[in-house]
Amino acid sequence: MPALVIDRAQEGPAAERRSRVAGWGGARSVPGPTKVVRRPLRSSHDWHPLAGGALLERLRVTGRPRLQSDPDLQGRLRGSLESGLRQVGDAGHDAPATGSGTGTPPHPLSPAVVVVTKDRLTGVLACEAHHVAGEFGNRPPTPAMACGALVDVLFRQLIAVGSIDDPMADGMAALGVDDRQQDLVSWIAGLPPAEREALRAEVDRQADGLRRHWPALDPAWLPRTQESMRVGLAHGAVELSARVDLAIGRPAEDEASVALVEIKAGARRVEHRADLHFYALVEALRSPAPPFVVATYYTRTGELDVDPVTEELLVGAVRRTVVGTRSLWNLAHGAVPRRTPNSLCGRCTLLSECEPGQARVERSEAAWARGPEDVR
Amino acid sequence: MRPDQLTRALVTPPTGAVGEACRAHLRGRLSCELAPLVGRLPHGQRLVVNTADLRRARERPDSLGRQQEPFAWKPVFVRRSLGLAIVDACAGGRFRSPAEAAGPVASEAVAEWDRTGWRTFHWEPWFAGLDRGARALVLSEAVTWATSLWTSFDWAAFEVRPRLGGSDDQWVCPDAGAVTLKGRSELRVPVATTGADGAVPMALASVASGRPSDAWVAELAYPALVAALRPPSRPVPARVAGLWPEAGIHLVVDIDGEVLASAVDRVVATVSAMVEASRLLPQPA
Repeated sequence: MPALVIDRAQEGPAAERRSRVAGWGGARSVPGPTKVVRRPLRSSHDWHPLAGGALLERLRVTGRPRLQSDPDLQGRLRGSLESGLRQVGDAGHDAPATGSGTGTPPHPLSPAVVVVTKDRLTGVLACEAHHVAGEFGNRPPTPAMACGALVDVLFRQLIAVGSIDDPMADGMAALGVDDRQQDLVSWIAGLPPAEREALRAEVDRQADGLRRHWPALDPAWLPRTQESMRVGLAHGAVELSARVDLAIGRPAEDEASVALVEIKAGARRVEHRADLHFYALVEALRSPAPPFVVATYYTRTGELDVDPVTEELLVGAVRRTVVGTRSLWNLAHGAVPRRTPNSLCGRCTLLSECEPGQARVERSEAAWARGPEDVR
Repeated sequence: MRPDQLTRALVTPPTGAVGEACRAHLRGRLSCELAPLVGRLPHGQRLVVNTADLRRARERPDSLGRQQEPFAWKPVFVRRSLGLAIVDACAGGRFRSPAEAAGPVASEAVAEWDRTGWRTFHWEPWFAGLDRGARALVLSEAVTWATSLWTSFDWAAFEVRPRLGGSDDQWVCPDAGAVTLKGRSELRVPVATTGADGAVPMALASVASGRPSDAWVAELAYPALVAALRPPSRPVPARVAGLWPEAGIHLVVDIDGEVLASAVDRVVATVSAMVEASRLLPQPA
């Protein structure tokens, strides 16, 4: 498995405030063994998020050699996906092969193309029933959702124009011209004053962190936000789809040259690494070379999780994608969703009617009562 | 396809030419086959057919029958025209990259509209009235779109600077005047040759979202078809490159009589689907 490096630089947050660092395009990873420094999580008060040039260096210098453009590797990745999804492409609809319930006739509204995104993949792998319940209807807005949407557009603004003025006003103006966000904009506008003020305070705080930590990106590095990526599989019956918050670097020709960064306004979760690996896989399939690095930046804390892209990472992403895609395909074609107890059960809308989920929640609560170290 | 390969493939001398007899045949076929279809259109209705309609009619015919929402500007409607202006400014050497060009190009457009009242891009007043955060979102969308086009070609390898954007080609069917065909391409550049009559054929490049469909040849040939239907003094495009940046796919089709005929087939099928869809829509009293 690739090393997960959690950076905890010692420099002060304002040390390299909005500094511009030259040489993204000429960056080369340092060959040789990876030096990974792990420090206790939040045990030290002297930890500060990476900022300015140090943040960029962390993205740029991964400690691993960058992958080369390799049609054989691309062919193997695609071949593994295609063979894993063979029944999907051949049968039009699949006789369930992964144990997802029993086969029932395809629903008349079954989609012609099953679109696989990071969220759908993560959802269906956690619990098929939870995924299906969440697929229907719009999720009601929450403060966390609002904060995430606002921080996303503020990050785009910072990359595009280099500054953020009044975070809440700028963010609301940006969401206001996006017709997919109209419900959220109305919801925010209708918040009681105290809740709206709490949202504003959190958005201000995260925007301030972005301003202080993210350096100006040299335009020559071709920074672009919300880049969409798609790959067709199984004779077009499946589409892998991703939209990355930030891509930096000229598209690859001979050697991996692109860094992909995902921005998260919420808490750090283990699934986020798998999301990044999915992005790396989609980029590896559509470009001559994979990205050389994928990273998640947490705007709440300033943490940066960096994964150098290796062949092993991509192969692992293929396996996970095959399993999840087959589940999505089977569900789209009438399979009965399986219930898999997991850490999300406590927040699931199906909990009241889900015995395995209730049992899981009861076990968790009992474990918490004994002490946090017993929680699994 | 690498940028240098795509650039060479686009401007390489054409493999053949489409003669006037072929062009006349195409016009005749369209007139003959569209006229009866248009006769079924509700009274007073007109159809404008573009490449997106060709795709919708084939992939989502049900969407043709939906009432269109009133037009309102949004960032995705601006990104192409602003993105083309951005790439043009980069190709002209004014800026190193789309990220550097976006702000100045948009500001210049607004300033020019403010000074003259002339809207080169149409979105200038809307953009000028946006708050800072919304303007940044528009610029972000345009930069991402423009970067995909900018990185697709080796711009230094073009002997003649390509023309970016420009007005659409149009052809109104003489025997079915309610139908207008519109051909749009993002880039036009002369190919590396001169025709027998001294005219230099052009190569076109078209940018599309998503992935190419099975019918990509006819879709790419469509803007060349609309160009071929114009007066004979203007040469037929030699080839069309299709760019699907989201999928990382670039495809090139050389234009000949056969591929133009396939585009005619698609036009007829599309108009047929659009006519049927329009008959299902509620008509004004």
